[in-house]
Amino acid sequence: MTAAGGRLRGWLSRVLAVAWREATLLRHDRGFVSTIIAQPILIILLYGYGLSNTPANVPWAVLDRSQSAQSRQLVQDIRHSGYFLAPTPVSGYAEGHALLRRGAVLAMLVVPAGLRRDAARGRARVQVLLDGSDPLSAARVGSYVAQIAAASAPPRRPAVREGVAPGADLPGPVDVRQRFTFNPRLADRDFFLATLVGMLLTNLCLSASSLGIVGERESGTFEQTLALPISTVEIVLGKLVPLVVLGYLVLLGTLTLQGVLFGIWPRGSLVALLVVTLPFLLASLAIGVFVSSLADTSAQAVFITVFFIMPSFVLSGIMFPYELMPEAVRPIGGLLPLRWYQIALRRIFARGGGLGDVVVPALAMLAIFAVLLAAIRWRLRPRLG
Amino acid sequence: MSWQRLRTLLRREARASLRDPFTVGILVAVPLLAMVLFGFVLSTEVHGLRLAVLDGDASPASRRLIGDLRATGAFTLVPVRSRDEIELGLVDGRLGGAIVVPPGFGRDLAEGRTPEVNAIYDAAEAVLAGNAEGYVRGVVAATGARLAVRRPASGGGIAVVTSVLFNPTLAGVPFMVSGTFGFVLSFLAVLITAVTIVNERMAGTFEQLQVTPATTLEILLGKLLPMGGVFALDIALMMLAAGLLLGVWPNGSAAFFWIVSALYVLTTLSMGLIFSATSATAAEAVQKTVIFSIPIVQLSGFAFPIRNMPGWLQWVTECFPATHYIRISRAIYLRGEGPLDLWPELLILAAFGALQVTVALRTMGART
Repeated sequence: MTAAGGRLRGWLSRVLAVAWREATLLRHDRGFVSTIIAQPILIILLYGYGLSNTPANVPWAVLDRSQSAQSRQLVQDIRHSGYFLAPTPVSGYAEGHALLRRGAVLAMLVVPAGLRRDAARGRARVQVLLDGSDPLSAARVGSYVAQIAAASAPPRRPAVREGVAPGADLPGPVDVRQRFTFNPRLADRDFFLATLVGMLLTNLCLSASSLGIVGERESGTFEQTLALPISTVEIVLGKLVPLVVLGYLVLLGTLTLQGVLFGIWPRGSLVALLVVTLPFLLASLAIGVFVSSLADTSAQAVFITVFFIMPSFVLSGIMFPYELMPEAVRPIGGLLPLRWYQIALRRIFARGGGLGDVVVPALAMLAIFAVLLAAIRWRLRPRLG
Repeated sequence: MSWQRLRTLLRREARASLRDPFTVGILVAVPLLAMVLFGFVLSTEVHGLRLAVLDGDASPASRRLIGDLRATGAFTLVPVRSRDEIELGLVDGRLGGAIVVPPGFGRDLAEGRTPEVNAIYDAAEAVLAGNAEGYVRGVVAATGARLAVRRPASGGGIAVVTSVLFNPTLAGVPFMVSGTFGFVLSFLAVLITAVTIVNERMAGTFEQLQVTPATTLEILLGKLLPMGGVFALDIALMMLAAGLLLGVWPNGSAAFFWIVSALYVLTTLSMGLIFSATSATAAEAVQKTVIFSIPIVQLSGFAFPIRNMPGWLQWVTECFPATHYIRISRAIYLRGEGPLDLWPELLILAAFGALQVTVALRTMGART
């Protein structure tokens, strides 16, 4: 046995001793254990079944002054696109306006009296009034109506298929052949579920580790640990080990649940996913420990954590696309581990990436971890009083 | 109930909760941060999406098309030389999409044939791809129409003239701002209250209160009103921040909005009180708040329209006060509605509030 080997063994056994103690503590924290199990299930079900940006069940009104076959055809075509409810007929602008104002309808279609005459001259026009207070829905509903109307003609039924972007084969001066790579149905569910695990792990890591040290300080057990023949870094690493294991369990559980319920499995390499998750877990946990070392009470730790989680979710591109943010804010995202993990997850989950695709995000997260570890070491120097 | 006792309690609670500068800072800073973050950072307009351009034609017509795409401001164009480059860029996420102009594009247009432009989107970013699609399609159609010698026989296609009411530019900021109040008051306020009060309980002062002659109602009001006062101030500050920094002022009455919000936050704070009364540690209070409040916030229409959910889930969302509050705040902020239009929603909200306060009273009473 060489001296170096012996030192390593001693180091490992000290870290693992702390890890064992932590694991025992966690196992007996019933609130924590039930949160760990309940939260992923709840959130996966929410995003899988409920939440979507794609307009559906759109309430709308029709002011049909033409009462012609063509206007009825147009109304039919819009209804059959699958995005809209049955329209509310109105008899005048005022009535439709009142409905829009109350938010009872999102759009009003106005067909002028002379539609048939105009159509014969090739100049058929209708008007659509949209409730712009929900801009994302309004923009999409407006473009659906425009595309359906452009294709609407009495002799032939337009081919608007569900799940395919409507109006994909309109007549026009230029044909646009579109391809949606990686997510052909443009499903919001695939978009959210690909990075959901990042959200869950951020929640888990930050809430578990941020309350750890400060709680022990409050109850006075941290000072006892400091009195042991063991270094600060060893204590911190030992505390992280059981949480890393837990993080992997949550990852595997989430993957299985998503796959079984919604048929969404990572398209790329599972090995790459497992590898890139380690630096992410370490960096996120280190943030929690750092927060814990800054805070004087657990209430403060909670507040600082919230202060950090909120921008993480918004700026990482998990829920809202990065490209929709102002340029000035984007670099801040680079400081957040979740931003890099999000990049890696999308590459692996949606685009079928492998190990080579996640090297840069993994290195970035390792760098964040290293900086934090240094900061924690500085903050947790044994202090008295 | 004795007014004098309540006054003493109020003074005591206000001092206890607001004594340390950190808590006060958090109470003011977190709601403002949320407002600026959600309002400023999230827009619904695409800009700077990296779009690869493979110009196989290099004619005046194709350059015109590419120039028009650039002019929308939505895209950062990246010239590429081969389809392989496009595939590579899409896989590693450097490109948000690509447009391929075929050889002979200009000639076909000039001679009345219909050229075919290829558009490829990275739909792993579903929201973005959906928005970008609209832009590309619009530009191609407009440019094509200008360049084509004759319109192809398009049969009975109907043109649509669109006008947008209430928010003509379709700006995303007012929508997010009006929803953020709901997020802050339904989640952050609950969390902050739960944690602050559980901390006091851990210090043992809560039990001492319960052995004084004060009734449960007085203790409850003593806790709720100072916090409610702070959040009423927060609401005003958030409205100012939204107005001064983001340029979003309510279309309806600001006073009406402030009053409704201040009353609403009293009811959500009573939720925070319930969570803290049933928790032993700050960690437990946080876990309870997150598990209960996250689905409520997610389903309340803050981030995702309720309309898009399956029917049964839409009924579930009606059971959350946050849903009704967000509906009201959007109605006032975006459409300028007043109390006369909103009274059914206001009544529902009041009923929920009464229920929550009652439950809080019983929970705290049971602890005595």
